[in-house]
Amino acid sequence: MASHFSGVLQLTDLDDFITPSQECVKPVKVDKKQGKSVAKIQIEDDGSYFQVNQDGQRQKLEKAKITLNDCLACSGCITSAESVLITQQSHEELYRVLRLNKVLLSSGEQKVVVVSVSPQSRASLAARYSLSSSETARRLTAFFKNLGVHYVFDTGFSRTFSLLESQREFLKRFARKEEDKKALPMLASACPGWICYAEKTHGDFILPYISTTRSPQQIMGSLVKSFFTKQQGLDPQKIYHVTVMPCYDKKLEASRPDFYINEFETREVDCVITSGEVLRMLEEEGVSLSDIEPAPLDTMLSNVCGEELLCHAGSGSGGYLHHVYTHAAKQLFGVEVEELTYKTLKNKDFQEVTLEKDGIILLRFAATYGFRNIQNLVQKLKRGKSPYHFVEVMACPSGCLNGGGQLKPVADQSNKELLQQVEELYKAEHLSAPEQDTRVAELYQTWLESVGEETARQLLHTQYHAVEKSTNGLTIKW
Amino acid sequence: MEILSSVVNKVFQLSRLSKNVQRTRRMEEKALEVYDVIRTIRDPEKPNTLEELDVVTEKCVEVQDLGDDEYLIIIRFSPTVPHCSLATLIGLCLQVKLQRCLPFKHKLEIYITEGTHSTEEDVNKQINDKERVAAAMENPNLREIVEQCVTEPDD
Amino acid sequence: MKDTLAPVLRLSAHPDSRCWYVAWSPKGSLLASCGGDRAVRIWGKEGDNWECKCVLSDGHQRTVRKVAWSPCGNYLASASFDATTCIWKKKNDDFECLTVLEGHENEVKCVAWAPSGNLLATCSRDKSVWIWEVDEEDEYECVSVVNSHTQDVKHVVWHPTQELLASASYDNKVCIYKEEDDDWECRATLEGHTSTVWSLSFDPEGQRLASCSDDRTVKIWKECTPGDGDGSTDGAWKCVCTLSGFHSRTVYDVAWDRLTGALATACGDDGVRIFKEDTTADPEQPVFYLSAHMPKAHSQDVNCVAWHPQEAGLLATCSDNGEIAIWNYHSDA
Repeated sequence: MASHFSGVLQLTDLDDFITPSQECVKPVKVDKKQGKSVAKIQIEDDGSYFQVNQDGQRQKLEKAKITLNDCLACSGCITSAESVLITQQSHEELYRVLRLNKVLLSSGEQKVVVVSVSPQSRASLAARYSLSSSETARRLTAFFKNLGVHYVFDTGFSRTFSLLESQREFLKRFARKEEDKKALPMLASACPGWICYAEKTHGDFILPYISTTRSPQQIMGSLVKSFFTKQQGLDPQKIYHVTVMPCYDKKLEASRPDFYINEFETREVDCVITSGEVLRMLEEEGVSLSDIEPAPLDTMLSNVCGEELLCHAGSGSGGYLHHVYTHAAKQLFGVEVEELTYKTLKNKDFQEVTLEKDGIILLRFAATYGFRNIQNLVQKLKRGKSPYHFVEVMACPSGCLNGGGQLKPVADQSNKELLQQVEELYKAEHLSAPEQDTRVAELYQTWLESVGEETARQLLHTQYHAVEKSTNGLTIKW
Repeated sequence: MEILSSVVNKVFQLSRLSKNVQRTRRMEEKALEVYDVIRTIRDPEKPNTLEELDVVTEKCVEVQDLGDDEYLIIIRFSPTVPHCSLATLIGLCLQVKLQRCLPFKHKLEIYITEGTHSTEEDVNKQINDKERVAAAMENPNLREIVEQCVTEPDD
Repeated sequence: MKDTLAPVLRLSAHPDSRCWYVAWSPKGSLLASCGGDRAVRIWGKEGDNWECKCVLSDGHQRTVRKVAWSPCGNYLASASFDATTCIWKKKNDDFECLTVLEGHENEVKCVAWAPSGNLLATCSRDKSVWIWEVDEEDEYECVSVVNSHTQDVKHVVWHPTQELLASASYDNKVCIYKEEDDDWECRATLEGHTSTVWSLSFDPEGQRLASCSDDRTVKIWKECTPGDGDGSTDGAWKCVCTLSGFHSRTVYDVAWDRLTGALATACGDDGVRIFKEDTTADPEQPVFYLSAHMPKAHSQDVNCVAWHPQEAGLLATCSDNGEIAIWNYHSDA
């Protein structure tokens, strides 16, 4: 079985592919009950366990269950998480919810199903069907709605928030850089593979550098399960929120306890499916995106101008470097940046942008993609030799457009050719400037002001948790 | 002449036979010596010894003569349950204790009794890889457990 | 006259410990050894004796598994179970630790310098092979991390002239890597061994690769050339010879002598063996014969064999008993 996770996550895995039941090392908490005397345990043919008390009473014992959260919090294997994920987050799970909805149609117990599609997934599907990215979005909207989905949004919309928050966070960090040695470089936080690796491998050392700004997916989670629910007069658990992402690691991100709404026992993003899984759905339905009649976009939570979707400037991984850099140059040094000059360093996945004035470097930003470049970055930080103010870190070589959940090349197409095509389609969308987005500005004023500063911060930011290495000799893999 | 030759032949055969018997007996003695070292190893999880849990028995040790006072020791142990993830740890304990306690020159092979473990081959490979064993013994957490298992109660 | 392997000298190099590996400096004036005592020792010739010139004991927290000299002879790299690789710089008769390469998740099993001296490869139980680049300021940066093996990677070795890397693994396979489009990738996977592949050695011209394994065999692999007409793709390697029946336990190391073309092996049966090639055989089906055999070369497993780079027939070996031995191989053939 091949893993779908990004290379970075596979690297932190020290184990072979195993299923949780077989070799999971996570200790299970058992609630000990008082006053029980000696009992025997019987194993039935079907594998169920019974406790037989001295008086002959039989009681079925609960099986220990390992959840995805257990996997995430454990320094053992990561791949176990994959088999857990398959049962919790997959297009089949989406189908299940949609089927259930049909059964519940008359009962009023139906869930409102919301699908938020990432710009990278759109571009990947657009390349396969030779459509423009916006046209793909319109047809995907039609496809999902035919299946019973109620709303189809665009995570480009939530990314505007993410970019704005990153930019504000950067200015704050820059201001305290003298007194706080870990204020800079600020490391981008949108890539869940990178976050997972940082938490498991470099823990407390690296985490303070990472931006607390939520990724577009998780801000969409806030928008859908906080703003949209209120607007619709629904409780958060009444909405089933699906995102379509270029990356498997996003499934792990959605499952983080930080993004679980305890009060309503629901996740902000219930299910993540990849671009590839959407293709599978199309195939299973026996339809081609080319033949689907386009439907109008749901513009409420989409980054649109009329019927055209918009894109952010900069990299195909969200354009964090571009946005933070342009703003920092203007706000801190009064420099209007027209165009960014990327200097390729060691390899194509390690690029640098600098702002110079009178021969002095005022800002030094970098984009480091892929494990090898992440390594060098981490080592430089450890040696106190990192010259950067901001780094856009992504686990995948070539960034999110090349994510592990994207469509694979068709026969006699090279990965490179496909990537180029996807990139062109992605960049063909008109640009939108986050600071000029009036709808987002309005939401900051209405929605986010109304919930109070602390709640607003929680809706747009998150926190990270170092994973402690196992010291239990019984569970160490050698 | 014929009688003589047949007698010589008989004597020769007898001496060969007794040599074989001697040799077998010597190997059995060596095997017992080996067994004596491993039987008191404690299970990493339970308070019992490997002997008490039937993980090792007298029959599980085989010794072959390699010549020049060197012996090949083959141990086949039976983990208590087929999924026992501690099988590698038991293998480690066997390796370490024999390395330390056996007074004669030897080569060592440790296997899981056929059919007693679901990932038999993987475990066998790992516990016979001396580099992996050496590295494992430098891990303080693993070392602590192994030390607890191989230390004699009266030490 | 028969080919002979005669003992020259024996050193108790890492007492009460294992000696895992020995490596001659490029000119052959120094021999570096490493072992379970966490130290690297540097040996040099004084008259007829070899003496310990230097002990590098403060670089690693755990076993030092392998050492490698840079082609210029001014640097020494040491790979350790402590998950790091140290780079030592030679200063007169002493060595100072220049830098520590971190990044592997666990035990680093091997380190090797490319012939140019600008690249370094390391491998680990974490299943990965890393390629590092050295710049003029002695700064090391990781240029690639390749995950082609599914298990513990035991050994890495560079091609004698090209920038081509080979790795051997616990997954029974050998991988060959090349740089492609600013990253390194596995170009060929050599399958045939039925257990762990412990070590590798290229022949003097770099046309063939010898591998040794826990399956008690040595295999000779040859790069397929497009003109072979056997339909194999460019860059593929095929097994052209298997030496089986010679070794009675795991073969831990194999070394091809640059000077004489003889092939030496280190075996878990305590023996050292020298093989010679039958020059009359078909190059596509080479034949090797056992030219010399020292059955009890050491009192325990032999871990490493290393031919002297300039004195033909001089061979260093080391063993689990902590000893180094130096031998003289003589062949009339």
